[in-house]
Amino acid sequence: MVKTVLKLPSARIALAMLAFILFLTLFGPLLAPYDPLENTALNLAPPSAAHWLGTDYLGRDVLSRILAGAPLSVASTGLVAAIALVVGAIPGILSVYLTSVFEWISLRVVDTFIALPFLVFAVAMTALLGNGITQAMIAVGLLVSPLFYRVARSATLSVARSQYVEAAILAGATTGWIVRRHVWSKVLPPIAISLATTLGVGLVVISSLQFLGIGVQPPTPTWGGILASDLGYLQQQPYAPVFPTALILITVLAFNLLADAIRDAAGETGRALIGSRAAKASKARRLAAAAQAAVSPVSTTAAPTPQEQP
Amino acid sequence: MTASTITTPRGIAQAAVPREGIVWHRVRRVLVSIGRPLSIFVPVFFLGTLFTFLLGALSGRSPAALQLGDAATPEAVAVINQQYGLDRPFFVQYFDWLGTLFTGSFGNSWANGVPVATLLGDRAVVSLSVAGLALVIGVVFGFLFGVLAARFHTTWIDRAITTGTTVFSVLPPFVVGIALIAVFAVGLRWLPAVGFVPLQMGFWPWFSHLILPAVALSFDTVSDVARQLRTGLVAASRENYVIGAQVRGLSPRRIFFGHVLRNGVAPALSVLGLKFPALLGGAVLIEAIFGLSGYGTFAAQSAVTGDVPSVQAVLVISIVLVVVFNLLVNVGLNRLIPSASRGV
Repeated sequence: MVKTVLKLPSARIALAMLAFILFLTLFGPLLAPYDPLENTALNLAPPSAAHWLGTDYLGRDVLSRILAGAPLSVASTGLVAAIALVVGAIPGILSVYLTSVFEWISLRVVDTFIALPFLVFAVAMTALLGNGITQAMIAVGLLVSPLFYRVARSATLSVARSQYVEAAILAGATTGWIVRRHVWSKVLPPIAISLATTLGVGLVVISSLQFLGIGVQPPTPTWGGILASDLGYLQQQPYAPVFPTALILITVLAFNLLADAIRDAAGETGRALIGSRAAKASKARRLAAAAQAAVSPVSTTAAPTPQEQP
Repeated sequence: MTASTITTPRGIAQAAVPREGIVWHRVRRVLVSIGRPLSIFVPVFFLGTLFTFLLGALSGRSPAALQLGDAATPEAVAVINQQYGLDRPFFVQYFDWLGTLFTGSFGNSWANGVPVATLLGDRAVVSLSVAGLALVIGVVFGFLFGVLAARFHTTWIDRAITTGTTVFSVLPPFVVGIALIAVFAVGLRWLPAVGFVPLQMGFWPWFSHLILPAVALSFDTVSDVARQLRTGLVAASRENYVIGAQVRGLSPRRIFFGHVLRNGVAPALSVLGLKFPALLGGAVLIEAIFGLSGYGTFAAQSAVTGDVPSVQAVLVISIVLVVVFNLLVNVGLNRLIPSASRGV
């Protein structure tokens, strides 16, 4: 499964982008050339050799603030996705096996979570419950969990009511073996797709909260917070929002690419695609070998290949 | 029509038995199409209000802390708690609060004791103007792009629309908002960047302040509706009944509106219902960017200060709006595609 995903070029691009973001998250605060909270007299300076990305309205170095803000922005996104996964996927799987009362109640709770106006609720929850980054992560994690519930439930349903599982039970297979052999391979890919999507959505929501100043106190540098302070000085520095925006977009785009790659690799069409690509590659190799062996008939052997592609 | 069948005397109605059957069948279909979603939306409404109320109870905020500050003595706190009815059991408070919802007063603000409804009054105009305009833009342009992409399926128009909507659906709303301000307000100076002007001051001042926030809010809806509509229309146009209609020589316009659009619109409509909460929720961000004082900023400020009834009022209003909107979408879907009511 992982190997199949890695065969897709889009997945490798996505992972390269994510490795870059992960590097910023882990080592960003150490790499920052200045103290991100240090005010100087140099207000709203354009990019220069001393300040690569310029300075903000209090004279703080923008590059240092972006680097120092990386952990709070990216790591909290990861925790949001983890909370959503646990809170959503486990009841989703259980809803297939437990009583119909549990099923009905959990379905209605999930319906309610979907109907709640997402961002307003996240803001209200975070601010009312103490206005910290922990509260923000729990609130957003709870509110995105319905995706995992639905995905896990439908994947489990398709396996639990299938005849091959019934046949395995009749043949005397243990539950553990069935889970490892049949359930795992059916439930994991959709959950992995949702996880990648949620990581992208989570970063946008966490940045939105930071933009509003909810969950973090103002001097603390975060990507969303930097955008919010840039907004007030668009007249002087119209280019300033580009840097944090670019980082957020790279991350979101990478997660979406990864989700698409997993979807392609897990589906029937994806396997066919990869299979045909491998076949094409080996055919090209064989043709190249044949062309080297006999130099003259290259044009006749190369011509039919495009027609066989579809 | 329903009333006449009920009041007709038995002897006369005898002749019209099949007719009465048809009427009853129609009435039942409408009832089912309303009743089935109601059985989902009523629990959603009660659970939503319960979560909202629970949030206030869990927050540990109190009017005494807001109004008295450091000067709080245990006696004064007790007096204020009794004044706001906070010394009663949880469920008594919950149902009492539900009662204030149905009378439309939403309880009293903890910050100054004024009914929340009066605080919300003029903010409603701002929020509803922006969200309403965003919904209109979302529906009009979503349908336009979706239909165009499906009509010119596999051409460069289709590819351009598909790529564009994919990119725009990834963009966070605050990025779109900032970009719109940077280009149209700061760069080109065509439109004002912040603020709100009431409709009484004239149509253009009102509308010009609304365009940018509404467009920023509608990006997501436009792209999702367009993508779903394109998929639905392309799938519907491959059905056998479309080929049958073509063979019988029906005009392309009639085939499109009578067969393809009617059958292919379902996913786009359901996505519109799902997007509506995001449209309301996105207001909190859009209002902060464009300096509008609507529901979103009100809820955020009240939540930070700890004015629980004000926050709850905004949350409940949005839950009710979402539930009603989805109910309408459901009834519309059932009218368009009767098989949808079977849950197929």
